[in-house]
Amino acid sequence: MAVSVFTGPSIFLITLFYFIPVLLTLLIAFTDMDRTLQWRFIGLDNFLRLFGVSSRDPFVPRIIRNTVIYVAGTLPLTIFGGLFLSILSMRLRRGMGLFFRSIFFIPRAIPPVVWGFLWAWSFEGTRYGLFNGIRSMLGLPVIHWLIKYPMVIVILANGFLGISLSMLVFSSAIASIPTDLTRAAEIDGATRWQTTRYIIIPLLKWPILTMTAWHLMSFVNSYVYIMLITGGGPYYRTEVWSLYAYHTAFNRYRYGYGASLTTILIVVNIVLLLVVLRTFGLRRMIGRGKIEV
Amino acid sequence: MTKKTGAAFPYVLLVLVAAPFITMYVGFFLRAFGEGPQLGIFPERFGLSNFSFLWEPITWGLAETTIWVALANTILFASVSGAVVTVVCMLAGYAVSRIEFKGKNTFLVLQLFLHAVPGQILLIAIFFLLYYLHLLHKIPGIALARASLEIPLGVWMTKGFFDAIPWDVERAAMIDGCTRLQVWYKIFLPLVKPGVAAVFIWGFLFAWHDFIYVYTLLPGTAKLMSTLIQSLLATEVIDYGYLAAMSLLYMLPPLTLFVLLQRALLKVPIFGGKGI
Repeated sequence: MAVSVFTGPSIFLITLFYFIPVLLTLLIAFTDMDRTLQWRFIGLDNFLRLFGVSSRDPFVPRIIRNTVIYVAGTLPLTIFGGLFLSILSMRLRRGMGLFFRSIFFIPRAIPPVVWGFLWAWSFEGTRYGLFNGIRSMLGLPVIHWLIKYPMVIVILANGFLGISLSMLVFSSAIASIPTDLTRAAEIDGATRWQTTRYIIIPLLKWPILTMTAWHLMSFVNSYVYIMLITGGGPYYRTEVWSLYAYHTAFNRYRYGYGASLTTILIVVNIVLLLVVLRTFGLRRMIGRGKIEV
Repeated sequence: MTKKTGAAFPYVLLVLVAAPFITMYVGFFLRAFGEGPQLGIFPERFGLSNFSFLWEPITWGLAETTIWVALANTILFASVSGAVVTVVCMLAGYAVSRIEFKGKNTFLVLQLFLHAVPGQILLIAIFFLLYYLHLLHKIPGIALARASLEIPLGVWMTKGFFDAIPWDVERAAMIDGCTRLQVWYKIFLPLVKPGVAAVFIWGFLFAWHDFIYVYTLLPGTAKLMSTLIQSLLATEVIDYGYLAAMSLLYMLPPLTLFVLLQRALLKVPIFGGKGI
């Protein structure tokens, strides 16, 4: 009884805003809920449409392709970019390393709207955009970045957001590696590259795994930054699954179909969680195995 | 490779990667304080005309608001959210740190999982939930929903604060006849005061930065700083200098709080009970 005073409020809010919404999503997914907010159950119609059994949704294949490209682009960028920046910056003098890490941490410290604005402005297609302005000063023609390479821009903007976290995690992991190990390698005549390749990176196995799992889930579900930078356009070229679900519900007011799209996303999330759980083991997730020397 | 070029190598690579970002940040800053058209990084001349929103109403489309209304809304939203996160997490954090109860590990793992699942994908259902609870289009209601997203990590964070406090203090208090709740309120909260501040600032910051909840669940006429900037960005003619200046104002409170947060976190007694 005494415990429920302490845990009660958190359990209440989590039930209200995590579990009930999941159930509600499942319920709405079987209706053709629209802006009139009337509950009319239509059975599996939404899912049949989604899987192309009856009255096919022509956008679904394209959305799936976009999502795969988006995740396949952002995830390696986050992990390898984070490794690259943390290893390099940890080699510098402390102050300089801190300077570079701050530069790459800024994306996470500023509001999403401002980060979106920065990208939309920097890559604007006229000469009033930052990079096109610089190009036209150099006498180069402007490039319509957001029309020509929308997916690249979106991947970079989100990838560097991921990097800001992975770089921080990897840097602190590198800092906690006992110097004996790297010193010993140095005395044995190992080059910088060899030390990095055979000592530092193997010791970062655990942080790399956690960051990969973490960002995989986060990128599969992310849509806010894409919405802010390209809005899913031009013509669905950067529309990923979660953004499509959002647009379907809130721009086209087809809440029922949007909820069925979200249902698929929830299933994907549960599968991913189970895979992560299998890979890591529950006990190791609660315990903190940071650097295993 | 000689030793000297070897030492310069990481610098060169880092500068190459950082250069576009430094350009963006510097360009953004100069744009906010620039006047006239800006080609590239440098504006024609410097001035404060971009900050005109401080004394003039802001219009987009047919709608109009002032910066002060938007700021007040944002402060209300962030404060409610921060307060909810603080109270709820301080309670739950104490329980998982101090009390043995059935399902404690499940509770902790659950928090970890929920933290991994981004709540923003549940927005459609949350829209309906708030609608049926008559909380839709109301800032405190949306703040409550937004605060719930921070609870999973917050519980782990506060657990850390309480874990750092020695058991003797509370045992003494309980022998003297305090109940758990009294111990929590009279002994622990004063001890983790910097921790309370840290959790509040942290909850406040996330809500201050939030865009998607506010954008989706508030009517288009009620603006917070984030949605105001977004709607100005979505108009036909975009005044980038104006937007850069407004973004700077938007980021000022979080930056101040960020410094405070770091100080508060440094004061959290991690090594034994400081100040006991």
